Amino acid sequence: MKFKIPIFDIKNLNFSVKGQKVLSNISLEIFSSEYIAIIGPNGGGKTTLIRMLLGLEKPTSGEIKIFGKKLNDFKEWYKIGFVPQRASHVDSSFPATVLDIVKMGRSSQKTIFSSFGEQDRALVHDAMVKMDVLDLKDKMIGTLSGGQRQRVMIARALASKPEILILDEPNTGVDMASQKRFYALLRTLNQEEKITIVFITHDVGVIADDIARLFTINQKAIICNNPKQTLSCEEMSTLYGIDAHLLHNHKHEH
Amino acid sequence: MLEMFEYDFMQRAFIAGMIIATLASISGTFVVLRHYSMISETLAHSALVGVAVGLVAGFNPLWMAVLVAIISAWLIEYLRSEFSLYSDAVLAILLSGSLAIAVIIVSLGGAFNNSLFSYLFGSILSVSIEDVYTISIFGTIALTSLLLFSKELYFIAYDEEVAKVSGIKVRLLNFLLVSVVAVIIALSIRVVGSLLIGALMVIPTISALQFKVGFLKTIIISLVIALLSVGSGMTLSFYFSLPSGATIVLCVLTIFIVSLLINRK
Repeated sequence: MKFKIPIFDIKNLNFSVKGQKVLSNISLEIFSSEYIAIIGPNGGGKTTLIRMLLGLEKPTSGEIKIFGKKLNDFKEWYKIGFVPQRASHVDSSFPATVLDIVKMGRSSQKTIFSSFGEQDRALVHDAMVKMDVLDLKDKMIGTLSGGQRQRVMIARALASKPEILILDEPNTGVDMASQKRFYALLRTLNQEEKITIVFITHDVGVIADDIARLFTINQKAIICNNPKQTLSCEEMSTLYGIDAHLLHNHKHEH
Repeated sequence: MLEMFEYDFMQRAFIAGMIIATLASISGTFVVLRHYSMISETLAHSALVGVAVGLVAGFNPLWMAVLVAIISAWLIEYLRSEFSLYSDAVLAILLSGSLAIAVIIVSLGGAFNNSLFSYLFGSILSVSIEDVYTISIFGTIALTSLLLFSKELYFIAYDEEVAKVSGIKVRLLNFLLVSVVAVIIALSIRVVGSLLIGALMVIPTISALQFKVGFLKTIIISLVIALLSVGSGMTLSFYFSLPSGATIVLCVLTIFIVSLLINRK
């Protein structure tokens, strides 16, 4: 598989809280059109890593580049769609229809003097069609099932026309049937729309066929270029150990 | 009914009341959705410090109220974002602190009189034509600033973190929201009173939320409830010689109870 455009370039990243190391010397690259999964035990630093990539936490040391720019210089945040862990849990009394939520995806690209135009409407419509939530557009978000809410949150992310989608354990509280449908939609987005997908999960087995690479984070990062093989071998259990080692690191052709 | 409009002071009070209902209910929607309802109470008490300074030092109490309310709003936002303090605790601290400072200033200055009383509970008799102009002009500026960023503020209210990741200047807009609310509250206390403005800002939105409709409809319902409350409150206060602010609040509370009952599951 050939990947040409680096989206995230992370070098020697360290993060400590009150002297306690959360992430240690993480270096990894994420390329355009990849489908990767990040797994690891609770407290292993998966979400912290993602929060740093998104500029929500500052690393103790190390460097993050997004689309070739240093994190502080990067301004085109609309290129990154983020679906947080709590996506399927919403405040049921919040006054928002599905359409209201998906339209939020266009908010960051509007200036105070530009109104919601034809192009915005078309992008919002397309995002709802792709995520199969068009029929629900006038429904209140609080009345939807966990699976439906999850699709709405991804539609919101897609409305900004992102080049990369980052999903932080979005399946919490979602039933199995909805999860399967969800994985199929992600596969389509990756294969047909060429959207890079970074999926943080506990349950990597179900997407092993789809993902190109697997990162395991437990303070340190382990990069595996053959997820299916890794998942089936006994060494998988060691991935959840405290002091992990590099299992595979085949170089991609850039 | 129309008899009350034969009086100039009632015409002024009615116009000012309707403007305040519009400002308070629309800005209140954003405040309530941010789970920031108590900020209106705190800022109203901070505004009272400005009124006290104005009364004692001989400055225009309304302008001093606007100034002190804005400073207080920035302090709240700064403390909330820079220190690990619970938002509601910050509001409670500033609320009681402001009230204490206001009372001490007024007591030391020997100005604990009807003037301060009118700012505490509101007085339709005290609304001058200059007040109507001031409320109209600065209220329109404040509300326009808020509406220009309504999409972004709505996104922040729904999910602050995702809004930040998508490139929205969350911190700046949080400061804008509290500043606008501070201005609106300070402008309103002459008519509704600092002890009662919080109710006009929060209760119409809470009532509108019972209808479980989208964002725009929620704002419209909240606005209608606020206008109805102020209109009926002022009418009742005129004909039954009741205090205007308290009557308005009782009207909005009645509408809230009705909206709860008709939307009961």
